[in-house]
Amino acid sequence: MFWRRLGYLMPWRRRAAEREIDEELRSLAAMAQPGELGSLAIAAENARSELGWTRLEQAGQDLRYAVRSARRSPIFTAAAVVSLAIGIGVNATLFSLINTLLWKSLPVRSPDTLLVLGRQDQAGLTHGFTYGNFETFRDRVASLDVAGYGAASLNVSVDGQLEPTLQGCLVTGNYFPLLGLAPAAGRLLGPDDDRVPSGHPVAVLSHDYWRRRFGGDASAVGRVIAISGQPFTIVGVAPRQFLGTEVGTAPHLFLPVMMQPVVTPMSVSLIERNPGVTSTWLHVLARTRADASIPRAQAQLDALSRAPETDWRLRDKFTGQVEDARLVLGPAATGLSSLRRQFSQPLFLLLGIATIVLLIACANVGNLVLARAAARRGEFVLRLALGAGRGRVIRQAFAESLVLALPAGVAALAFAYWSAVALVRYTAVGREAIVLDVSPGWRVVAFAAVVSIVAGLVLGCVPALRAARSDGAGGARLDLLRGRTVTQGGGPGQALVVVQMALSLVLLVGASLFARSLMKLSDHDPQVDRRRVLIVRIEPRGSGDRNAPGVAEQLDRTYRTLLAQIEAMPGVRSASLARSSPLGQTGFAYRMIRPGTGQTELLSASIVYPRYFATIGVPIVAGRDFNEDDLRPGSPKAVIVNEAFVRTVLGRAAPLGIGHGVQEGGRGAERAPMNIIGVVRDSRFPSLREAPSPIVYQSFVQARTGFGGMTLHVRLSDVSEASVGRIRAAVQAVQPDVPMFQLHTLAEEVDAALIRERLVATLSSVFGVVALVLICVGLYGLMAFSVARRTTEIGVRVALGATPSAIRGLMARQALRVLLIGLATGVPAAWIAGRLASTQLATLLFGLTPGDPVSFGLATALLAIVTLCAGILPVLGASRVDPIIALRHE
Amino acid sequence: MEPLYGVLDLLVLQTLLFGPLHGYAIASAIRSSSGEALNIEFGSLYPALKRLELRGWISAKWETSEHNRRARVYRLTPAGRRRLRAETTEWSDFVRAVGRVLKSPPEEVGS
Repeated sequence: MFWRRLGYLMPWRRRAAEREIDEELRSLAAMAQPGELGSLAIAAENARSELGWTRLEQAGQDLRYAVRSARRSPIFTAAAVVSLAIGIGVNATLFSLINTLLWKSLPVRSPDTLLVLGRQDQAGLTHGFTYGNFETFRDRVASLDVAGYGAASLNVSVDGQLEPTLQGCLVTGNYFPLLGLAPAAGRLLGPDDDRVPSGHPVAVLSHDYWRRRFGGDASAVGRVIAISGQPFTIVGVAPRQFLGTEVGTAPHLFLPVMMQPVVTPMSVSLIERNPGVTSTWLHVLARTRADASIPRAQAQLDALSRAPETDWRLRDKFTGQVEDARLVLGPAATGLSSLRRQFSQPLFLLLGIATIVLLIACANVGNLVLARAAARRGEFVLRLALGAGRGRVIRQAFAESLVLALPAGVAALAFAYWSAVALVRYTAVGREAIVLDVSPGWRVVAFAAVVSIVAGLVLGCVPALRAARSDGAGGARLDLLRGRTVTQGGGPGQALVVVQMALSLVLLVGASLFARSLMKLSDHDPQVDRRRVLIVRIEPRGSGDRNAPGVAEQLDRTYRTLLAQIEAMPGVRSASLARSSPLGQTGFAYRMIRPGTGQTELLSASIVYPRYFATIGVPIVAGRDFNEDDLRPGSPKAVIVNEAFVRTVLGRAAPLGIGHGVQEGGRGAERAPMNIIGVVRDSRFPSLREAPSPIVYQSFVQARTGFGGMTLHVRLSDVSEASVGRIRAAVQAVQPDVPMFQLHTLAEEVDAALIRERLVATLSSVFGVVALVLICVGLYGLMAFSVARRTTEIGVRVALGATPSAIRGLMARQALRVLLIGLATGVPAAWIAGRLASTQLATLLFGLTPGDPVSFGLATALLAIVTLCAGILPVLGASRVDPIIALRHE
Repeated sequence: MEPLYGVLDLLVLQTLLFGPLHGYAIASAIRSSSGEALNIEFGSLYPALKRLELRGWISAKWETSEHNRRARVYRLTPAGRRRLRAETTEWSDFVRAVGRVLKSPPEEVGS
């Protein structure tokens, strides 16, 4: 019966059934005496209602009526829909980002059974392995099919034209088979592309790169491109949705892992089973074989973890000790991502803040709905008086608020997509692009739908309660024609504005806390304009194997020629090289032995060329910088240290020279006195948040390191396209067939390091502004409404001799009262919110506490100024009420 | 006399127990078999037919009568037969219970 009735929801089924009823009744009427059957119209009507869905039809009527009444007041409708769309939209945006980053399954075959290998030790869980480790897993863990992949920057030429640096993904032979992907064109890589080192010059394009660079043309398959100067044949295109298995990045090309030595010639071969290769550059995905289970695979991994002879264990780079660690299997349905740890906490915090924005928007719309309900009270009473059921009138109120909330939800989805794309772009400043597919999936749509419906139901409660209370007796006091009632006091409208104020204050306090933290973190010496310091990593050929005979000297010659060439360029104030950029990790340590102890201690260290400190704006407070003499082979060893080194290591000893007795340790018994030639001021680098730690700087030729790549720093008097182009060309010239690393400014590097803080500060400020706008609208509406409501009262007062200023005072007192109650609730609310979120805040705030009085003061002042302005405009109008008109009004 | 609410369904089902009939015949049959005591408004009977048809207790199809008249003829389905048995028992219980109340001594009421 249910299904048959459901069928009658279809208009054509319904019409057919109704035609049949009419036909049958006509045939019966022909048999009966005239009048014997009574009114056939009533019989037909009653029969039709048996077919129908009375409730549903009424709901349809309610909705149609709601749409009509929304159309009748377009300004109200627009204001309400836009407010709700913003409120729902900011939530949907953050939900969409969180969904993309944390919950979306990879577009691969049965993602739920995809696993990833990890390495659990005291420091935590990591996912990097050497190629040797991968081979061990492949050969010795019988229960698992494993596949490895690693990232590489690529130097690609198409038709002899050098492409901008592309991202490559080096994959083992069964990477694509394990993921179960089908090619969009040509074929994907397979086990036969993964046999001989340097022997498989083939490449698979990502769908996006294929479309952008080759116009999505199938003839791209079979073409030959040059990677690091060597020819590679394009054999296929990856499927469109597949952006690799690392969420947040999207490789342009997939290459066989065996081609690593060809693709990255500056680095040592990473695919040999060489105990000296400790670079953990591969991630390892796995699936259990058909006859195996996860517990069995885990047991085999545990056995491998305990086996002493296998080389999957990492030796500590400096101590040579084998670390205690365990191999673990984890789910990889959502892929891996380095962005998760960085962004999940701030995103959830921002989602919390967005919820406050939604509450403020709801309060705002609630206010509008209230004002409208008051204006339509006559209508409700009339409908009750005409016999509408109370339930029907309440349902009508809900229908009207849903008609506002549902379009708002749809608009919010569009808004969320657009703003998520904008936010991803915003966070990608000064670093490699973050590529996230933020197209809203079913989760985001469901989220927006649920939020809209809940918001609609909550909003519907307001007029529904009012409607339910209007009774016949109340109706007698109503002026049906004007639809106004005479009530006293602030009413629920005032309460809503107070709630809005309190919530806005919480938001504004949060925004000023984040903004002030960000300011403190990016605070720096105004002498050095960070936007005019250009940074780019360079890795000339041979820099992967600096210790080979003659390589260090050859690299040093290359570097010095490059520096001389760049310093001679117009607009260049100074140029230098350092092991890493100011905020980068050097991965390089200095072995120090204090006088009296035989213990080697490890300190952070860097390798710099002369004028490095001048280039990035770190003053030398004692002694001198490196000079040409220090760069000569065989010159006495010399180091520069920072103030933190002097403070924590030397104490009172005179820093310069070798008198302090600290020695440099080497492998074995080798030792040499540490000759300090200069002391530099502690800088905010490399960690912006932490207190400065001791750092030792050495010159390139004297440092002991196997890696010869450096990072170029150029301080310009002015950044122009031409100067950047000249520097880029000079860098490209010393490393013609390796990829050019991204050239960026020091300011961009700091921005990238502070991206979480910047994201939170910017978004919470934007949310704060939205809240202020909403509250202005809300308060203006409340004041205008109450001035209009009290027009008669004001007229009487004016007629009785009240001065305009007395009238203004009367109305301003109401605005002031709302503000004071709002602040009195908002300040404690903000304080409590700060306490509740203290753990989340701790990682984002810097140099201040959640109870920072300056932030509270700023937020309070801002809110007070804005609300007073919004509250005063309607009040000015009140003092101009003409008593005659006001009295005639009634 | 109007039948009690819900009894109409029972009457229709019972009438169709003896064979398929069209709407007008059902109305006439109920009237005559009750000895003209039950005069059912056609405006109530006809929707009841629709309701029973939707519930699957009776089925209907267009047939041509011996007078060459087209009419929609209703017949009992197996589900309708079961329903009729259940309702008949229920109705007899109800009638017995009401009868006992009406025959009981009045002093027990309202004490």
